Amino acid sequence: MRRRASLVLLSLAVFCTALAPLLRWWMYPSFAKIPPGQYQEAVLEAKPATLLDYGTLTPRKVPRITIVQTLKGNVERSKEIEASAGRDVVVWDALSYMAGPDGKMVSAIPERYIFDAHTQDPVHATGEMVDGDPVRRTGIEFKWPFFTEPRDYLYFDAQTRTSAPIHYVGPRKFRGLDVYYYEQTIPWTKVPFPKKMPLPGFDASTIEKTFGTSRWYTTKRMFWVEPVTGAPVNGEEIHTEELRGGTLAANAPDQRLVVFDGHVKMREDYLRHTVDLVAANRIKVLALHTYAPVGSAVCGAVLLGLALWLEARGRRRDAACRPARDPAGEPVSAP
Amino acid sequence: MRALLAAATGLAAALLLVFLATAIGPPEPGTSPKPLLTTIPSAPGK
Repeated sequence: MRRRASLVLLSLAVFCTALAPLLRWWMYPSFAKIPPGQYQEAVLEAKPATLLDYGTLTPRKVPRITIVQTLKGNVERSKEIEASAGRDVVVWDALSYMAGPDGKMVSAIPERYIFDAHTQDPVHATGEMVDGDPVRRTGIEFKWPFFTEPRDYLYFDAQTRTSAPIHYVGPRKFRGLDVYYYEQTIPWTKVPFPKKMPLPGFDASTIEKTFGTSRWYTTKRMFWVEPVTGAPVNGEEIHTEELRGGTLAANAPDQRLVVFDGHVKMREDYLRHTVDLVAANRIKVLALHTYAPVGSAVCGAVLLGLALWLEARGRRRDAACRPARDPAGEPVSAP
Repeated sequence: MRALLAAATGLAAALLLVFLATAIGPPEPGTSPKPLLTTIPSAPGK
């Protein structure tokens, strides 16, 4: 009976020991990926902010500007791209919708971001765009890769349609989570007008030609990134936009008319929601990457030890029970 | 011999489990029916 038990334990020990590397190097790489059908929203606010009144063409202080950012995984399109790319691909259709204090639209910028579900590397396919303009991204956007490294990354800036380094500043503690803090500053850059603006009757693509006015932008972007999931738990931007020159900014000081100026922060309820979500996902990733493989290996070692101990004990007992034999090989019997 | 057979059974079970789990894969729901938001939500998910 003991022998049978030790064989079962040996079998379980091999099962657990073999499972450990298989979980870590086979299952983790195939399971740790961004789901293609993810839907996520975030609300950011600038309180107070400066906003251009397009009716009078004068900047005015407003109590609040809200930016609603939605990311929606397009599963059908990702399957189409996967068929030709031969790897797991995520297609995010995103919308940055900026609303004034009255809730009315200030700008709405759609994006399509296509990337590798495992590595976060951009995938170039038809449809990749910002505000209808085809782009070819390098680097990351919205999210960092799993097991983010404490180093600079290339981060795509949707306004300028270019990528620039986002600098690793150092580790931080954010609401109980260990995070990496990153900063990116985009210097004053001439950028296209959003196609959707509160200017009825104006074609955004011809504003510069018609009025001789251009749009400029600068921002300091800050992210607190949870390194296991690569998910930002907080994001802030100190963002300024101006109209320069031409008819529209002719009466402004230095012909520079502030369109928007504010420090954009995540709304408190979304901050709490994001921290909870990322903390839960962190445990899931670590379970597959570390906890399960290590636990399985330890379990295998313990079971193997137990199997060997049972086997040794069984053999000792067998030896003790075996009747002694004389040198001639005959069993010794009592006189 | 019996020990070898037991070890082989354990190894085969581990491989089978992992290959089966990988073949089935994680559940992948389709595209969310929710729209890209053009209104300010009152709370997350609302």
